Amino acid sequence: MVSGSRFERLLREGQFVVCGEMGPPQGADKNAIVRKCAYFKDVVDAVNLTDNQTAIVRMSSLGSSVFAIEGGIEPIMQLTCRDRNRLAQQSEILSAYAFGVRNVLCLTGDYQSFGNHPGAKGAFDIDSTQLIHAVSEMNAGRFMSGDEVKPPPKMFIGGAANPFAEPLEMRVLNLEKKIAAGAHFIQTQPVFDIPRFEKWMELVRKEGLDKEVFIIAGVMPVRGAKALTYMRESVPGMSIQDEYITRLQNVAEPKKENAQEEGVKICVELIRHLKDVPGVAGVHIMPVMWESITPRIVEEAGLLPRPEPKPLEVPAVQPEEAPK
Amino acid sequence: MSKFTEGIAKFSEKQKWFHWCCHIGENIIKKPVFKCQDCGQCVLSYNGFTCPMRCPKQLRNGPCGGTRHDGHCEVYPERLCIWWLIHKRSKRLGWQRKLKKYHIPVDRRFENTSAWINMFAGRILPLSFKGEPDDKEAPNKL
Repeated sequence: MVSGSRFERLLREGQFVVCGEMGPPQGADKNAIVRKCAYFKDVVDAVNLTDNQTAIVRMSSLGSSVFAIEGGIEPIMQLTCRDRNRLAQQSEILSAYAFGVRNVLCLTGDYQSFGNHPGAKGAFDIDSTQLIHAVSEMNAGRFMSGDEVKPPPKMFIGGAANPFAEPLEMRVLNLEKKIAAGAHFIQTQPVFDIPRFEKWMELVRKEGLDKEVFIIAGVMPVRGAKALTYMRESVPGMSIQDEYITRLQNVAEPKKENAQEEGVKICVELIRHLKDVPGVAGVHIMPVMWESITPRIVEEAGLLPRPEPKPLEVPAVQPEEAPK
Repeated sequence: MSKFTEGIAKFSEKQKWFHWCCHIGENIIKKPVFKCQDCGQCVLSYNGFTCPMRCPKQLRNGPCGGTRHDGHCEVYPERLCIWWLIHKRSKRLGWQRKLKKYHIPVDRRFENTSAWINMFAGRILPLSFKGEPDDKEAPNKL
């Protein structure tokens, strides 16, 4: 046990976990997050709070994570290498732990030219593997400089993997490197290509990596064929099978409502399928601007009610003695 | 490193002009051949003689998730993904296993210095012509 977070305990007990995803608001409104928390409470085990996703400025992941805790859900703070250098990243980890955030997902981050500040300078001081290593070292009580962290944070560290981008061999090797650097769980890009995902999982199992890390497969509910076609053409590193696009295109009238129904159906089917893939420890549902659909998907996939982990025997962090 | 190379490193520390000459000589070769970005801590021999600092995100430990299906970069679609090239060239050399080596963060103090002198002085990783990764850690000290 590293952090003792609810999310970590469930994974270590061998439960099939469900993660949600929430985009922080593009404004200074706390209630936007607290309101959305209602969709996730008792429905998912943890929620990812994105860090300026697609390089568009939003409330910070740390700030929204704190509000998520207030809203009664467990956050997974995302931390990218695009916006911060190594000093800011380490200080963010310290603040996050002090605020009660126990899970962190280390990412490289989308390139700034895709967002709403295309002229910005990306930091890219260290890469995601090095960030995972840095957080892991902080857990052990050392900053990147070698100085002591007193007291050290205890973070449950995550990394990302994209099984769909080329070259496939490199994707497994990259995963191996992230595990060696100290990753505890891995979240993947949304799956719309089951054969490719299974091929990747097979290589992962062959290397025995599924025993060393919890692999959480991503799924994305979509509202129509347009979203999938857009992703296939404009989001590099995605693989989408034609089957899903034709299914969404060939729905009966009224198109909009039926396409939404079909989108939910596809998502539920994918979750059911991924649950049976050996080595998959959970699913990560990432609706884009459609968080309200999460409860329905989790229910239809038969993943409710969510299990409760066994209580911790020893508190994860020993309370410090009060000064006399 | 041998006594001779250590001697060169020591000499270059005393004689700045010698360090400049080495740096210029290195740039003349590395800039046109490898599109060297002058990070001063060369890992060419670990990555199939392809410079990972050419990646727009300067990733030194593997590709991001944005490699296109034809092997092109997500940021500059007209360029090849540098990690796609590294993988291809390492495979041709039989060095894929060496890609498992973890590379420590770039020390920005080495930027615009001669990687050859840094290597002779034992500040950065030595050249590697083996197919297997070794456990040698970069000394990373100035």
